[in-house]
Amino acid sequence: MANKETRRGGLGPVLGLDVGTSRIVVARREEQDFRYESQLNAFVTIPYSKITEGVLEREKIPHTVRAGEIIVHGNESEKFAGILNAETRRPMTHGVLDAKEPEGLHMIREILASMLRPAAGDGKPERQKLCFTVPAAPLGAQDSLTYHEATLRQILSDLDFEPVGINEGLAVIYGELESSNYTGIGVSCGGGLCNVCLAYLSVPVLSFSIPKAGDYIDASAAAMTGDRANRIRLAKEDSFHFNGFFADKVHQVISVYYDDMIRSLVAAVKEAFLRTSNLPKFNRPVPMVLSGGTALPPGFRDRFEKLLWEQDFPVAVSDIRLAENPLYSTAKGALICALSDQ
Amino acid sequence: MATQPPNPVPLWVEQHAGRIPDPVERLRFLRLHASVPVSAKPWSLKRSLLWVAAAVVSAIVPGPIPTGTAETFAREQRLLVPVTNQAEEASTPASRVWRVDYSDTSELYSNGLRIDLTFAVANRARAPYPILSLAGAATSARFGDRPAGIVYHTTESHLAPFEEDANRRLKQLARNLLEVIRRERAYHYVIDRFGRVFRVVEESEAANHAGASVWADSQGIYVNLNDSFLGVAFEGQTGAAEEVSPAQIAAAKVLTEMLRSRYRIPAENCVTHAQVSVNPSNMRIGSHTDWAGAFPFARLGLPDNYAIALPSLYAFGFEYDDAFMRATGTRWKGLDLAEEQIHRQAALNSAPAGQYRKILQHRYKDIAAALKEQTEGGT
Repeated sequence: MANKETRRGGLGPVLGLDVGTSRIVVARREEQDFRYESQLNAFVTIPYSKITEGVLEREKIPHTVRAGEIIVHGNESEKFAGILNAETRRPMTHGVLDAKEPEGLHMIREILASMLRPAAGDGKPERQKLCFTVPAAPLGAQDSLTYHEATLRQILSDLDFEPVGINEGLAVIYGELESSNYTGIGVSCGGGLCNVCLAYLSVPVLSFSIPKAGDYIDASAAAMTGDRANRIRLAKEDSFHFNGFFADKVHQVISVYYDDMIRSLVAAVKEAFLRTSNLPKFNRPVPMVLSGGTALPPGFRDRFEKLLWEQDFPVAVSDIRLAENPLYSTAKGALICALSDQ
Repeated sequence: MATQPPNPVPLWVEQHAGRIPDPVERLRFLRLHASVPVSAKPWSLKRSLLWVAAAVVSAIVPGPIPTGTAETFAREQRLLVPVTNQAEEASTPASRVWRVDYSDTSELYSNGLRIDLTFAVANRARAPYPILSLAGAATSARFGDRPAGIVYHTTESHLAPFEEDANRRLKQLARNLLEVIRRERAYHYVIDRFGRVFRVVEESEAANHAGASVWADSQGIYVNLNDSFLGVAFEGQTGAAEEVSPAQIAAAKVLTEMLRSRYRIPAENCVTHAQVSVNPSNMRIGSHTDWAGAFPFARLGLPDNYAIALPSLYAFGFEYDDAFMRATGTRWKGLDLAEEQIHRQAALNSAPAGQYRKILQHRYKDIAAALKEQTEGGT
């Protein structure tokens, strides 16, 4: 799946990479455009058969054959999980690599390799620069990211890239807040985490994450309804919206947990900002931008804004906006960061 | 995770950024000019100086900017690599010189230097002067309180023919000159045409010799050198038939040896007024052109410091005109090195050299304003 957004500017042999719990997005600049490719950061295991393998080969579905089974990864894993009535498995949880998933490292390497492999005929320059997103530490936990970042760095180096990490919230700011000279608050509502960053003229001032995000909604609603979390996620992404009345239980439950997630996020942002003694004094209110797959449902921004205005927020916010393309803004910011490093 | 708060950024940075249409170029500009973490103490003039120092460095030494992740952020807080701008010749060490004898009217040194104290006068004490860091954005400016270098001048005063018949007039001119220099507190030392060395302003005090001026060494950048450099003037005129006498050169050599020994002054900090003088009103170098050419570096035991890349050019974007080039006689290698450095820095920042030079000039103006405020505020 590729998305295209036209922008001005020069070319650079660099990439932006958003490594999220739920999705991995690659951003490239080709000619005058930003282009994106997205894959689910998930996989499913199916029994091996020559016929299945042949079909997968013929359909060019990313997969790996090993020890009598086939592992389908990326976007197609969800479809196969539906067919098999099984949960997809994830290399990552809560924003970082899942050390308990035995196939995690292998699968994320496979997904990244399939996405970052140059197209046939394209010559990839040696040690192409790649800026990849890294979540901020959860509030109160400073050092939990070293393994995740170092491992991704190693994988990307092995794939012959020159990796540079960027804070996920900061990437949102770089991707969306050009109009305010990269001053403002970037919020990335992903699957495993919500990442928040405050930047002043491109300089990160404060960043943190909270572990309540899309997966929390899916898991909590699944526990309530008895459905698979994967099915909840599909319902959430396909047909959920705020400010509506839902006759079915699934959407009602999603609504409850969505609301809980947003309240937790607003409270955490407020608390973090209050606890930070050295916040700069801005000479004007700063914008806040929401991005990520969890921010996609219609009405999310309005709900977030309503709950934020109810608070006595310590930083004057000029406006709360939804990213132009919430699924790709983080990768876009990472790409802009990489381009600006050239 | 709270990182350190950003510094106040000059308004022009924000305004200039706002006019850059391309998001990548805008971010590149801001990351170059607005990413200088410092401690969270109340804003003060001193911090202002420290900030501009670091900002100068960020302009001089482009490099990757911290992006704020866990491991990455810590790793990228590294020091940036200083520029290399020194003369090709190695700095010659100063030989040991000590005071042998002294009285109320003179001092004698182990290398034969004799200093006449008849015209010595007090001036204001040397103020701690900022040495703007070359070590990168993570390092602030520090302050010096000892002479860091020597600036050589000519007095540009009236001269009589250097002949035996003119002895009386030669001595009278020297005396009159010294009276004026004492009144003006113009130099620390004057070497008259007979090679006599007169101390005028005490070495522990500042003399009014350099005005708007710039120099740099491996320690950092010095701006306005009255406090940081000693002023040594040759009685003479630029372009005169006998610019200086052999006796003056011999005296300058032993005086330079003594001062270098006493203050451990590196050879590359022994420079001429024309090398350091700048004119902030038109952003050109060579506001004063004494010793713009033909300074006898070798005869003073110094390397050819005309070959040092000119800091006023590569650090602050000063320019030069035809009049200056005529004054130099032979084009300095340091001019070419500085120009090359500017073009290299501009290329690294993907900016036209002219645009990059303007940015550097803004830096100078910020620093000059902060120094002026410091001087007027008496801090």
